[in-house]
Amino acid sequence: MYKHQNSRSSGSFSWVFQRITGLILVVVMIGHYILMHYTPESGHTYDAVLARMQSNWYRVLDLTFVVLAMYHGLNGIWGIFRDYKLKSWQSITIVGLLIIVGLAFSLWGIKTILDIPYVQTTSGL
Amino acid sequence: MSEFKKFDQKSWVKTNLNYRKDSGSWAWILHRITGIALIGYLFMHIFSLSPLSQGREAFNSFMEHYSTPFFMALEWFLFAFVLFHSLNGIRIVLVDWADGAKYHKSLYRYSIAIGVVMFFAMGYVMFSHEIHNLFK
Repeated sequence: MYKHQNSRSSGSFSWVFQRITGLILVVVMIGHYILMHYTPESGHTYDAVLARMQSNWYRVLDLTFVVLAMYHGLNGIWGIFRDYKLKSWQSITIVGLLIIVGLAFSLWGIKTILDIPYVQTTSGL
Repeated sequence: MSEFKKFDQKSWVKTNLNYRKDSGSWAWILHRITGIALIGYLFMHIFSLSPLSQGREAFNSFMEHYSTPFFMALEWFLFAFVLFHSLNGIRIVLVDWADGAKYHKSLYRYSIAIGVVMFFAMGYVMFSHEIHNLFK
Protein backbone atom coordinates (compact mmCIF):
# COMPACT_ATOMS: atom_id res chain seq x y z
CA MET A 1 0.00 0.00 0.00
CA TYR A 2 1.33 3.41 -0.92
CA LYS A 3 1.51 6.33 1.43
CA HIS A 4 3.80 9.29 1.02
CA GLN A 5 6.36 9.48 3.77
CA ASN A 6 7.59 12.27 6.00
CA SER A 7 5.38 14.85 4.34
CA ARG A 8 1.97 16.36 4.74
CA SER A 9 1.50 16.76 0.99
CA SER A 10 1.64 14.18 -1.77
CA GLY A 11 3.44 16.63 -4.07
CA SER A 12 0.72 16.51 -6.72
CA PHE A 13 0.56 20.32 -6.94
CA SER A 14 4.30 20.68 -7.48
CA TRP A 15 4.11 17.88 -10.07
CA VAL A 16 1.53 19.81 -12.12
CA PHE A 17 3.29 23.14 -11.55
CA GLN A 18 6.62 21.63 -12.66
CA ARG A 19 5.04 20.82 -16.03
CA ILE A 20 3.35 24.21 -16.37
CA THR A 21 6.51 26.16 -15.49
CA GLY A 22 8.49 23.87 -17.80
CA LEU A 23 6.25 24.68 -20.76
CA ILE A 24 6.39 28.43 -19.99
CA LEU A 25 10.20 28.22 -19.73
CA VAL A 26 10.47 26.50 -23.14
CA VAL A 27 8.50 29.33 -24.77
CA VAL A 28 10.42 32.12 -23.01
CA MET A 29 13.73 30.34 -23.69
CA ILE A 30 13.09 30.45 -27.45
CA GLY A 31 12.67 34.23 -27.26
CA HIS A 32 15.68 34.51 -24.95
CA TYR A 33 17.95 32.66 -27.40
CA ILE A 34 16.74 34.68 -30.39
CA LEU A 35 17.31 37.97 -28.51
CA MET A 36 20.71 37.01 -27.10
CA HIS A 37 22.22 35.63 -30.30
CA TYR A 38 20.56 37.78 -32.96
CA THR A 39 23.86 39.69 -33.28
CA PRO A 40 27.12 39.25 -31.32
CA GLU A 41 26.29 42.55 -29.56
CA SER A 42 22.62 42.01 -28.72
CA GLY A 43 23.26 39.71 -25.78
CA HIS A 44 26.70 40.76 -24.63
CA THR A 45 26.91 44.55 -24.35
CA TYR A 46 25.71 46.94 -21.68
CA ASP A 47 24.01 49.26 -24.17
CA ALA A 48 21.90 46.49 -25.66
CA VAL A 49 20.74 45.45 -22.18
CA LEU A 50 20.15 49.08 -21.18
CA ALA A 51 18.05 49.70 -24.29
CA ARG A 52 15.92 46.61 -23.66
CA MET A 53 15.45 47.41 -19.99
CA GLN A 54 13.88 50.78 -20.81
CA SER A 55 10.75 48.77 -21.42
CA ASN A 56 8.98 47.57 -18.32
CA TRP A 57 7.61 44.65 -20.33
CA TYR A 58 11.16 43.30 -20.69
CA ARG A 59 11.79 43.87 -16.98
CA VAL A 60 8.64 41.96 -16.00
CA LEU A 61 9.53 39.19 -18.48
CA ASP A 62 13.05 38.84 -17.08
CA LEU A 63 11.84 38.94 -13.46
CA THR A 64 9.29 36.18 -14.22
CA PHE A 65 11.94 34.22 -16.11
CA VAL A 66 14.49 34.20 -13.28
CA VAL A 67 11.93 33.34 -10.59
CA LEU A 68 10.23 30.57 -12.62
CA ALA A 69 13.56 29.06 -13.70
CA MET A 70 14.80 29.07 -10.10
CA TYR A 71 11.59 27.43 -8.88
CA HIS A 72 11.62 24.84 -11.67
CA GLY A 73 15.29 24.00 -11.12
CA LEU A 74 15.24 23.72 -7.35
CA ASN A 75 11.95 21.81 -7.37
CA GLY A 76 13.63 19.46 -9.83
CA ILE A 77 16.55 18.97 -7.43
CA TRP A 78 14.06 18.27 -4.63
CA GLY A 79 12.35 15.77 -6.96
CA ILE A 80 15.64 13.90 -7.32
CA PHE A 81 16.07 13.78 -3.53
CA ARG A 82 12.48 12.53 -3.15
CA ASP A 83 13.39 9.44 -5.18
CA TYR A 84 15.37 8.25 -2.15
CA LYS A 85 14.20 7.30 1.29
CA LEU A 86 14.96 10.27 3.52
CA LYS A 87 14.60 10.70 7.23
CA SER A 88 12.37 13.54 8.35
CA TRP A 89 15.26 15.77 9.48
CA GLN A 90 17.08 15.16 6.21
CA SER A 91 14.05 16.30 4.17
CA ILE A 92 13.64 19.40 6.32
CA THR A 93 17.35 20.28 6.02
CA ILE A 94 17.42 19.79 2.25
CA VAL A 95 14.20 21.75 1.64
CA GLY A 96 15.43 24.50 3.97
CA LEU A 97 18.75 24.78 2.13
CA LEU A 98 17.04 24.77 -1.28
CA ILE A 99 14.66 27.55 -0.17
CA ILE A 100 17.49 29.67 1.26
CA VAL A 101 19.71 29.24 -1.82
CA GLY A 102 16.74 29.81 -4.14
CA LEU A 103 15.64 32.97 -2.36
CA ALA A 104 19.20 34.35 -2.20
CA PHE A 105 19.93 33.85 -5.90
CA SER A 106 16.43 34.98 -6.98
CA LEU A 107 16.82 38.19 -4.99
CA TRP A 108 20.31 38.71 -6.45
CA GLY A 109 18.89 38.34 -9.96
CA ILE A 110 15.93 40.61 -9.18
CA LYS A 111 18.30 43.23 -7.73
CA THR A 112 20.49 43.11 -10.86
CA ILE A 113 17.46 43.70 -13.11
CA LEU A 114 16.01 46.49 -10.97
CA ASP A 115 19.41 48.24 -10.58
CA ILE A 116 19.56 49.02 -14.32
CA PRO A 117 18.70 52.71 -14.64
CA TYR A 118 16.04 54.37 -16.78
CA VAL A 119 17.86 56.84 -19.00
CA GLN A 120 14.93 58.37 -20.85
CA THR A 121 11.22 58.83 -20.30
CA THR A 122 9.45 55.63 -21.04
CA SER A 123 5.98 54.78 -22.16
CA GLY A 124 4.07 51.62 -21.60
CA LEU A 125 2.91 49.58 -18.59
CA MET B 1 5.30 -1.25 5.42
CA SER B 2 7.77 -4.08 4.92
CA GLU B 3 11.34 -3.95 6.17
CA PHE B 4 13.76 -2.23 3.82
CA LYS B 5 16.89 -4.11 2.81
CA LYS B 6 20.10 -2.59 4.11
CA PHE B 7 21.58 -0.25 1.51
CA ASP B 8 24.54 -1.85 -0.22
CA GLN B 9 26.43 0.66 -2.34
CA LYS B 10 28.33 -1.86 -4.45
CA SER B 11 25.31 -3.89 -5.49
CA TRP B 12 23.29 -0.69 -6.07
CA VAL B 13 25.85 0.56 -8.60
CA LYS B 14 26.07 -2.90 -10.18
CA THR B 15 22.31 -3.28 -10.51
CA ASN B 16 21.98 0.15 -12.06
CA LEU B 17 24.78 -0.40 -14.55
CA ASN B 18 23.52 -3.85 -15.58
CA TYR B 19 19.91 -2.74 -15.95
CA ARG B 20 18.99 -2.97 -19.63
CA LYS B 21 18.39 0.59 -20.72
CA ASP B 22 15.85 1.48 -23.39
CA SER B 23 15.23 4.97 -24.78
CA GLY B 24 13.09 5.87 -21.76
CA SER B 25 15.87 5.02 -19.29
CA TRP B 26 18.38 7.08 -21.21
CA ALA B 27 15.90 9.95 -21.41
CA TRP B 28 15.42 9.77 -17.63
CA ILE B 29 19.19 9.69 -16.94
CA LEU B 30 20.00 12.50 -19.39
CA HIS B 31 17.07 14.61 -18.18
CA ARG B 32 18.55 14.47 -14.65
CA ILE B 33 22.11 15.23 -15.73
CA THR B 34 21.06 18.14 -17.97
CA GLY B 35 18.68 19.43 -15.29
CA ILE B 36 21.38 19.50 -12.60
CA ALA B 37 23.77 21.17 -15.05
CA LEU B 38 21.17 23.80 -15.99
CA ILE B 39 20.35 24.85 -12.42
CA GLY B 40 24.11 25.05 -11.83
CA TYR B 41 24.36 27.26 -14.90
CA LEU B 42 21.49 29.47 -13.67
CA PHE B 43 23.48 30.23 -10.49
CA MET B 44 26.52 31.09 -12.62
CA HIS B 45 24.33 33.15 -14.95
CA ILE B 46 22.97 35.28 -12.10
CA PHE B 47 26.52 35.71 -10.78
CA SER B 48 28.00 36.60 -14.18
CA LEU B 49 25.30 39.19 -14.97
CA SER B 50 25.54 40.90 -11.57
CA PRO B 51 28.17 43.46 -12.81
CA LEU B 52 25.23 45.04 -14.68
CA SER B 53 24.61 47.06 -11.50
CA GLN B 54 28.16 48.47 -11.64
CA GLY B 55 27.60 50.25 -14.93
CA ARG B 56 28.79 50.12 -18.51
CA GLU B 57 32.60 49.82 -18.12
CA ALA B 58 32.51 47.10 -15.47
CA PHE B 59 29.94 45.03 -17.34
CA ASN B 60 31.57 45.31 -20.78
CA SER B 61 35.04 44.41 -19.49
CA PHE B 62 33.52 41.49 -17.59
CA MET B 63 31.66 40.29 -20.69
CA GLU B 64 34.83 40.38 -22.82
CA HIS B 65 35.94 37.16 -21.13
CA TYR B 66 32.75 35.45 -22.27
CA SER B 67 33.19 36.45 -25.92
CA THR B 68 36.35 34.34 -26.36
CA PRO B 69 36.12 31.25 -28.62
CA PHE B 70 36.42 28.97 -25.58
CA PHE B 71 33.38 30.43 -23.87
CA MET B 72 31.45 30.61 -27.16
CA ALA B 73 32.04 26.88 -27.60
CA LEU B 74 30.89 26.30 -24.01
CA GLU B 75 27.76 28.34 -24.77
CA TRP B 76 27.09 26.14 -27.77
CA PHE B 77 27.30 23.01 -25.66
CA LEU B 78 25.11 24.65 -23.04
CA PHE B 79 22.54 24.96 -25.81
CA ALA B 80 22.75 21.19 -26.33
CA PHE B 81 21.81 20.75 -22.66
CA VAL B 82 18.96 23.27 -22.95
CA LEU B 83 17.76 21.53 -26.14
CA PHE B 84 17.72 18.06 -24.63
CA HIS B 85 15.99 19.20 -21.45
CA SER B 86 13.37 21.22 -23.42
CA LEU B 87 12.59 18.60 -26.04
CA ASN B 88 12.52 15.75 -23.54
CA GLY B 89 10.42 17.95 -21.22
CA ILE B 90 7.88 18.39 -24.02
CA ARG B 91 7.99 14.62 -24.51
CA ILE B 92 7.31 14.09 -20.79
CA VAL B 93 4.32 16.45 -20.90
CA LEU B 94 2.96 14.61 -23.96
CA VAL B 95 3.39 11.26 -22.21
CA ASP B 96 1.68 12.54 -19.05
CA TRP B 97 -1.13 14.56 -20.58
CA ALA B 98 -1.64 13.56 -24.19
CA ASP B 99 -1.57 9.79 -24.56
CA GLY B 100 2.10 9.97 -25.45
CA ALA B 101 2.81 6.72 -23.62
CA LYS B 102 1.70 4.91 -26.79
CA TYR B 103 4.34 6.58 -28.95
CA HIS B 104 7.01 7.73 -26.46
CA LYS B 105 9.77 5.85 -28.29
CA SER B 106 9.16 7.52 -31.64
CA LEU B 107 8.77 10.82 -29.76
CA TYR B 108 12.26 10.22 -28.34
CA ARG B 109 13.70 9.57 -31.80
CA TYR B 110 11.99 12.66 -33.24
CA SER B 111 13.24 14.88 -30.42
CA ILE B 112 16.81 13.64 -30.90
CA ALA B 113 16.57 14.31 -34.65
CA ILE B 114 15.05 17.79 -34.13
CA GLY B 115 17.63 18.48 -31.42
CA VAL B 116 20.62 17.59 -33.63
CA VAL B 117 19.30 19.82 -36.45
CA MET B 118 18.65 22.73 -34.05
CA PHE B 119 22.09 22.26 -32.43
CA PHE B 120 23.88 22.81 -35.74
CA ALA B 121 21.49 25.58 -36.78
CA MET B 122 22.29 27.40 -33.52
CA GLY B 123 25.99 26.74 -34.10
CA TYR B 124 25.66 28.59 -37.40
CA VAL B 125 23.76 31.48 -35.78
CA MET B 126 26.25 31.79 -32.88
CA PHE B 127 29.36 31.62 -35.07
CA SER B 128 27.91 33.33 -38.17
CA HIS B 129 30.12 36.36 -37.54
CA GLU B 130 33.27 34.20 -37.41
CA ILE B 131 32.18 32.03 -40.35
CA HIS B 132 31.54 35.16 -42.39
CA ASN B 133 35.05 36.49 -41.61
CA LEU B 134 36.54 33.14 -42.60
CA PHE B 135 35.24 33.33 -46.19
CA LYS B 136 35.71 37.05 -46.73
